[in-house]
Amino acid sequence: MRFIRVLPIVIAFSILFGAAFTGLVIAPGFTSTVARTPSVGLVAYSTTEARGRHIYVREGCVYCHSQQVRNVKADANLAESFGVSKAGDYYYDLPHLLGTSRQGPDLSNEGRVWRREIGQPARDYLIGHFMNPRDYNPNSIMPAFDYLSKQELSDLTDYIQSLGAWKDNVPQPEKT
Amino acid sequence: MTSIKEQTSGIATRMPIISSESLPIDQPDSASRTWLFSGIFWMSVTMLIGLVEAVKLFYPEFLQGVPALAYGRLRPVHTNIGMFGFMSMGYLGATFYMVPRLTQTPLFSERLGSLTAWAWNLNLLAGCMGILLGFSKGKEYTEIPFPFDMAIGLFVIAIAGNLFSTIAQRREQRIYVSLWYILLAIIPFPIYYTLGNASKFSGIEDAVINWFYSHNFFGIWLTALGLATLYYIVPKQVHKPLYSHVISFVGFWTLAAFYPWNGGHHVIWGPVPMWVMTASVTASIAMFIPTFATMVNFGGTAWGTWEIMKRDVGYRFSLLAYLCYVGASLWGTGLAVMSLNAKLHFTNMTIAHVHLGFVGFGVPGLIAFTYFYLERSLKLKYSRSMAEWHFWLTVIGILGYTVSMGISGWMEGTAWEAGGAPQGTMIDRYPYHVARAISGLVILLGQFLFVGNVIQTINYPVPLAETTEEHSANNLQTQNVTTI
Repeated sequence: MRFIRVLPIVIAFSILFGAAFTGLVIAPGFTSTVARTPSVGLVAYSTTEARGRHIYVREGCVYCHSQQVRNVKADANLAESFGVSKAGDYYYDLPHLLGTSRQGPDLSNEGRVWRREIGQPARDYLIGHFMNPRDYNPNSIMPAFDYLSKQELSDLTDYIQSLGAWKDNVPQPEKT
Repeated sequence: MTSIKEQTSGIATRMPIISSESLPIDQPDSASRTWLFSGIFWMSVTMLIGLVEAVKLFYPEFLQGVPALAYGRLRPVHTNIGMFGFMSMGYLGATFYMVPRLTQTPLFSERLGSLTAWAWNLNLLAGCMGILLGFSKGKEYTEIPFPFDMAIGLFVIAIAGNLFSTIAQRREQRIYVSLWYILLAIIPFPIYYTLGNASKFSGIEDAVINWFYSHNFFGIWLTALGLATLYYIVPKQVHKPLYSHVISFVGFWTLAAFYPWNGGHHVIWGPVPMWVMTASVTASIAMFIPTFATMVNFGGTAWGTWEIMKRDVGYRFSLLAYLCYVGASLWGTGLAVMSLNAKLHFTNMTIAHVHLGFVGFGVPGLIAFTYFYLERSLKLKYSRSMAEWHFWLTVIGILGYTVSMGISGWMEGTAWEAGGAPQGTMIDRYPYHVARAISGLVILLGQFLFVGNVIQTINYPVPLAETTEEHSANNLQTQNVTTI
């Protein structure tokens, strides 16, 4: 008798919650566009890149830098230069680092700006910029990561240079 | 059906008799007090950290060089303390207060309630230390490292068990709307919490699940507990029943139906299937219905209570929370409109919206409950002048915060659509970032007054002059209850 009035409430919102759970958690796993397949040409992170990614996570870079180019007017420049992000681009990303805020620039194609082929000058720039961003841009509000060790800075640089770099090695037919 | 008189006296007679030997931890409301005061403590901490971050965003050399105080590590501590410390603990304090009264039954275990509160405090402290030392899990709102993240899930199960056992043994058969929200908060939590914190998906699936978890946490945990509290205290503050129980019924069920779908609106225009976006945008826009229901219901209840508004600061805080809840919800609906989202996602507009929810709805709601608790339960008189200062400082702070960040966000979106990049708007954002930090300082000053007021009221008690009207309305809001 006592449960008669509580139970319907619990059952009813459990069904409502279950519907959303099915829609947003279970169903995307079966949808082709989110299928667990990497984009063509996507390269897994190397050991140093993975270590660098871990530093990126640890230092909370994601709170100011997104890794996501959208097909919208506000991202028009990025989309034109680098193409729009696709689900398969994130195949090796755990945890995901899509981001929600852009206090600083989007980094999903940073490896195509400071390409590995540039060699030492690109690395010097990136490491110097981590150490003190205001040496390069006096208006920058990025924290100075001068407390990172040499090895950590090198790993982080490897990771940043890997971002989107694989896209330069595969023909990109559609630039939406 | 019991008469009002019986109900009013019922709670006192049915509470266990307090002998001098019984431990303080077993006394009625000891669990509620522990949770509530912990929540107020963490509220001050998260505001202080927020202020440090706000300063760092225009003066990055501030506290530079200490890894644990770097912006990227403080930010998850700020959000996690805000969610798990201030909001969860504070509103659980209100919940532990409401449940025994709404059910006319003593809490299943005061001891368990207090112990979970202390365990929660220590666990949260350890988890935040973990983040500061560099062990963050990295996804927004799931940063607390293992095993402290899983411990939170276990504690919620203990809390839910405690509350649900009380509800199952209840003497008052009718279920007031606050209890509906509490049930919604405590039952699905372990499912989405575990999913959000323990799942090992990668890439886009990880993102979608991350937002599913986060938005449920905000929607059917924090908001549900917050609304439960407002639904409980507002009718008592104005000494009349809720405007309409039918509208509160509509508001509850539409909220329960649409909120869990909202998660996908964090990845609108992102690399997710179109239908995930469509479903989430639809649900976010449909959130207008529960918002509108709440707006009408509280608006109707508050209508014509100008006299009470003038003399009761606590009630004014309830109204502030209510207005900001409606504002933040409508704002969220607006930001989920695809064209607006394209412009404003990733800008400071999101931050303005979130803070209107937390600082506008969460903070005043808990403050209203605390003043209510001091007056109605402890029957103590708090400093009116300090409370007035606190109120106006909070109002100015909230306005300053949301307006400065809102303008900054709109400006950024406009600049990006004109082909600019975040680096380019750095100088333009500077004055707004300064204004935001000043607003934060104003809010923090108000908070200091509040904490001082609470400590003074409890340590140097001044009994409230007995006004029969205040106390005879113990269970007024259970009148005309919709039962189902």
